[in-house]
Formats: sequence, structure tokens, C-alpha cells
Amino acid sequence: MMPAFKSSGPTYGIELELQLIDPYTLNLATDARDLLRRMSRLKLAPGVKPEITQSMIEINSSIHDNYASLAAELGDFRDALGDVAQQMNLLIAGGGAHAFHLWRDRRIFPGERFEHISTRYGYLAKLFTVFGQHIHLGCTSADQAIYLTQALTRYLPQFIALSASSPFHQGSDTSFDSSRLNVVSAFPLSGVMPPVRDWREFEDYFHKMAGFGIVRSMKDFYWDVRPKPEYGTVEIRVCDTPLTVERAAALATYARALADFLVVSEEPDPDIYAIYSHNRFQACRYGYDGVFIDSRSGAKRTIGEDILDTLRKIRSHARAGDDPALRLIRSSVETAGNDARWLRAAYSRTQSLEDTVRLQCDLWMAGSDLEKRHTVSAPSAFF
Amino acid sequence: MSLNFLPELPLSGNLFFLSSVLLLAGSVGGALVHRFLSLPSITGFIAAGVLLGPAGLNAGELWVLDDVRALINLSISLILFELGRRLDLGWLRHDRGLLLMGTWESAISFLLMFGTLIHVGVEPLYGALASAVGISTSPAVVLLVVRELKSEGQVTRRALSLVAIDNIFALVLLTTFLPFLHFEFKAPWITALLHPLYVLSGSIALAFATHAGLILFARIGGKDKVVQLVLQLGAVLFVLGLSYMLHLSFLIAVLVLGVLSKNLDRRHDLVDVEWGYLGQTLFIVLFFLTGASLQWQDFQLAGWAVLAFLAARFVGKSLGVVAFAKKSGLSITQAIALALMLVPMGGLAVGMSYGLTDIYPAIGRHVIAITAAAVAVLYVVGPVAVQIALKWTGETHPERR
Repeated sequence: MMPAFKSSGPTYGIELELQLIDPYTLNLATDARDLLRRMSRLKLAPGVKPEITQSMIEINSSIHDNYASLAAELGDFRDALGDVAQQMNLLIAGGGAHAFHLWRDRRIFPGERFEHISTRYGYLAKLFTVFGQHIHLGCTSADQAIYLTQALTRYLPQFIALSASSPFHQGSDTSFDSSRLNVVSAFPLSGVMPPVRDWREFEDYFHKMAGFGIVRSMKDFYWDVRPKPEYGTVEIRVCDTPLTVERAAALATYARALADFLVVSEEPDPDIYAIYSHNRFQACRYGYDGVFIDSRSGAKRTIGEDILDTLRKIRSHARAGDDPALRLIRSSVETAGNDARWLRAAYSRTQSLEDTVRLQCDLWMAGSDLEKRHTVSAPSAFF
Repeated sequence: MSLNFLPELPLSGNLFFLSSVLLLAGSVGGALVHRFLSLPSITGFIAAGVLLGPAGLNAGELWVLDDVRALINLSISLILFELGRRLDLGWLRHDRGLLLMGTWESAISFLLMFGTLIHVGVEPLYGALASAVGISTSPAVVLLVVRELKSEGQVTRRALSLVAIDNIFALVLLTTFLPFLHFEFKAPWITALLHPLYVLSGSIALAFATHAGLILFARIGGKDKVVQLVLQLGAVLFVLGLSYMLHLSFLIAVLVLGVLSKNLDRRHDLVDVEWGYLGQTLFIVLFFLTGASLQWQDFQLAGWAVLAFLAARFVGKSLGVVAFAKKSGLSITQAIALALMLVPMGGLAVGMSYGLTDIYPAIGRHVIAITAAAVAVLYVVGPVAVQIALKWTGETHPERR
């Protein structure tokens, strides 16, 4: 069933999937049901949701129009969750994947939808215990949502590199900055939206797929970016959950400024799909150092250089309160300081994946103070 | 032709032969009970012990149980060390409800058990000692069933903390009662006063000193899990051995060592090691031997008084848990499950009782008659209660439901 597109303004919001950690083993815990029950008594409760396995929860921000208010709300979520988690002897962590959990130990969250996914996809459902950030960008019309879905595709490798925080998976260094997207790619309905011209064509496509019995709702498309008609948004889904809420809010703010720019300044490149897989792989594997190919000119540059160039183009679309976010993005690229690098440095220092996870939890709870050091210096500052 | 090279009959057993019998019989018993009756393996380990022990087939002279107390004590020590590492003092600061729960369920159950024993005519001192032992909850039973069912969650985590708190209270209270025991047996007042002080402070000091050494060795040895396993095993054996040599309480020393190693390891030099196959082997040893050592005649001796004692214990623990469930954020289902998880009492209680007989053998008649009979009953009921509680809360792994 495809809901009608509910138009919205130039606002944005995010969903963040978080790791629940057992402080005794530093492995993933299975306390999501209890945590949600306890959170249900709090004011922020409607924004906390279950996810596919009992080791995850998701927080949904409300609708914002600038960085300062989004970061403040995410900080409130972090603090409220932290208080409840402390009472339960749990830790919370950001990051796109847990460093050493094993998929077979995970437990599916009870519920019709999750059990359907588990039945349909087998072990992939438990392997899907990876943690992403979804950025929702408000659209004024359904056709604008289709336009932005296509126009943003060219920039998705930037978001992969900026958010990459899953270098370790199932107990090993994967050599990728973001290994999480390799898990998402295993799903048959992953990838990108087919090239449709407008919302009407998209509806035809959806109904054809629904008629085949392949999809039941928009949630069944695991695309890297997709329209979300019930929210009136376009949803960027390639980001790993960053290690701090400040970084999560900064990424979303960067995306919103980029969308503002795209709406007025740039037409989508019809050839982008031809080389998107290459650029996406480079971002997952090498982060900022990945080689980005511009499909219009054929020019090659690093993804980091492409981000700095984009920052210059979108400067005029920053709103009041956005400056810290764009500064964080810039300094993160200039110092090559993404979260994957931080995690590898933490492991290199401690030689222990358990200690790496512990530091990851400390960083999540410490938030902005550590974030400042994180963006300007090596992770050794934490030890 | 002389045949004097042949062994004399009847054959005399030795520790190796005994170990082989108990491991083989225990493993088979555990597997059969688990597979065909869907009961915890522990029940099978104990049943095998009862079957081959003095109360059953009485397999010859193998059961000179004093000789195997060392094995029981080693098993208990490793379990207590792991239990101590599960007690996170930081958590108790953040969840006062849990601390209050542990304190009150210990206190109420002690008072109810003591009142019951006085009511049925037990001497106050023996009643107090037996009730102090009764506060303890079996860490071995709870840990093994938790592992067997791969249970994880709030009830599981809280149960392990409460078990640790129970045993700390039981051990401290038992030591505190020592002066009265000495007075009962007309010991000089200096002995009566200094002995508990020596045992308590000496055991804690030994734990602190061993902890300091363990941290130092861990920094040198690094975080390799095999190295850490050997180091931690070495530290537990060191405490056990020195406790024997210095006449201290190895139960207190090992439990405190576990608590310190979790809560004072600020640089995280120690890693949590998987006792794995070694742990499983020691569990079989422990339950088989305690099964074999159960004194069923004690139950006939103590009779209905034991059932009343156990009822008082269960009611006391349940009241304490339920009273603070809301403060600790637990649902009523979780609270009842948590109370059920505190039902088991086992080898540790037997160990505490034997600790008393080491000081005054005559006390055995009075205290062990109650505690050993209680353990006999709870060895049957306890593992099943824990299994029911964990399945009820849904914290067990789906494959083990």
C-alpha cells in the first residue's frame, strides 16, 4: 500500500539506530524490550522505537530547521537513554557495527513485521544487526521528492565517507571504513531507485512491484535513498550511525543544506547510475581517500576533495545555527578524522576489541566535549 | 609361582579413578536428564552422584569424601570468583532499588528462618547459624542454568547480583556469629573476640593483596585470553591455598577478590575470560560430589522443620524482592521470576556449614542437620525453579526454549 505524498517544508530530522552493550562482556546486550518499557514513562518515549533485533533501538528526532535545535534534541535523547541504561546496567554506543558480536547470538524483536523479515530473509535478518543513521529531508511536492532522490545519489559516497564507523565486524578488521553497507547490499531490494521521471511513474513502478507480490510497502525497498511519502521527505539511508550525536546532527545539517542547493542549482546527472556502484564502493572501502569519478566530466578526485568542493558550493544555504555543523564537517575532512579512523586508532592503542567498544560507549556518553578533541586531534587524546 | 604382583582385593580407589567415574557418570546423567526430561543438566549430575554415592549404590570405598573436599572447594572458589566479578558496585549506586532489594530479602529471610527454627525448638545459636547459611543462594546452580539456557536480560543480570549480595551477607553474618559459638563451647573471651576479626580482616586483606598482584601480572602478561585465564586461575588457587595455610575463610577471600577485580580494575587490565570446558568440568565435579555427599538421613532427622525453614526462606526472599521491584523498575512478572531465581541453595551452603564443623565438630549435629537437609531438597527444586523463571521471562535463547 502506497500512502499519499504528504508535502512538507524545508525541514529535516533523523533516525539513529543505537547499540545496547552489556558492560560485563562488552558484547551486544538483549535488553531492548525492557529499555523500551522503561522509556515509555518518559516524555521522549514516542521517539524511541524497536528495531529488527533485541540488541538495537532506534531514536527518531522531531522536525527541525537548523543544527542547534536538532543537536539539542539528540543530546536530550542521549542523556535520557543514558539515565535509563545506567539503571539497567547497560551501555549505549554509536557506530555502524558492533566490533565482535556474532550474528547467530542475536534475537529477533517480537512483532509481526520483524518476524516476517526473519522468515523471509533467513540469517540476513540477524546479520542486519548493523546500525545506521537515516536523514529525512522535507520536500514541498512528490515530484520534488523524486527529483531529490535522483540528484542526491551523486553525493551519497560523501555521506558514506563522512559517517563511516564500522571498520570492525564479527571480530575482525574488515579493511573497509564502512562494512555495514556490505550487509545492506545483500538484500534483494537494496541499491538505488530505478530512473523514473516523476511521482506518477514512481507510483506505477510501485504498484507493478506490489502486484508481483515483491513489496507490501515502501519499507520493503532498502534503497540507499528513497522517497518517504507518509513523511513528505526524501530519506538518505547510507550513513553509519556516528559515534556522537553532534556528528549525527552535523551530517543531517550538511544534507539539508545540500538539498536546499540542489533544489535551486543543479539538475541530476542521468549517467550517475552508471558509475554510482564504483563511487559507493570507494567510499565504503577507503573513506575520504576513495577515488570519486565525476560522471559529467570524467574527472577523478578523492571523496574528501569532493566534500570540500561541495561545502564551498552550498555555503550560502547555511541557516542561522548551522555554522558549527559545517565547521565540523570541514575539519573532519581536513584532518581525515572520520569515526572509522578513530575506532582503528582505539584498537591499535588497546589491542582489544572489548576496550575499543568500551571507549566507543564513553565517547557516546561524553558527547560534545570529546567531539571537539575528536575533530582536531588523533584519538590518542582519549587515552 | 608367587602372584604377589597382582593387586589385593578389594581394590582401593584413588583420586584419578574417582575423577573418571564422576566425570563419566555425571556427564551421562546430565545429558540424559536434559535430553529426555527437559530438566537442567545439574539435576542429572546430582542424580548420578546420589545414585553412586553412599545413599545409593555406595560404590565401595571411593566415597571418602574428605579426600575430595579439595575438589569441591576448588570448584566453589572459581564459581565465587566469577560471581564476584558479576557484582558491579557502580550499578548498585545507580539502582538503589537493587541494593535495597538485596539487603531486605537477606534480612527478611534471615528473620523468618530464625523465627521458624526457634518456633520448632531449635537452640537460638544453632538457629541463627543455620539461618545465616540459609541467606546464601547457590551461585553454581544459577550460573549453570543461565549458561545452559543462554539467558540474557534484566532478570538474569539482577539475579546474579543478588546471589552475590546474598552470599556476602551470609558469610559476614556467619563470621559475626562466631564469638557466640566460641562462648557456647567455653572458649576464652580473647579467642571469641579475635577469631572472627582475624578471619574477616585477614580474608579481605588477602583478597586485596592478591588483587594488587593480579593486576601487576596482568599488565605484564597482556590481554591474551589464554594468558589471562591462567593468571586468574592462579590467583584463585593462590587465595585458596593461602587461606588454608593461614586458617582464613577462602569463601570470603575468593568472593572479595572477584568483587575487587571487577570494581577496582580502573585501567581494565583484566579481561573476562571464558571458563568454557574447564568450567563445565568443574561444575560436573561439584554437583556430582555434593550429590554423593547428601545426607538423606538428615532430612529424616530434621523432618518437617526443614520444610518450614525453606518456606520461611522463600517467603522472606520473595517479600524483599517484590517490595523493591517497582523502585528497581521491574514488572511484577520479573519480580516473581527473580524471587524464583533465588530458590537454589547448594554446595556453598554445605561449605559454610563444614567451615563451622572445622572449628567445633560437635556443631555439625545441630546446624548441618538443618542446612544439609535443606540443600538436599533444594538440589531437586532449585534448578527447576531457575529454569522455569528464566523461560517465563523470555530471557532464554529462542533455541533453548
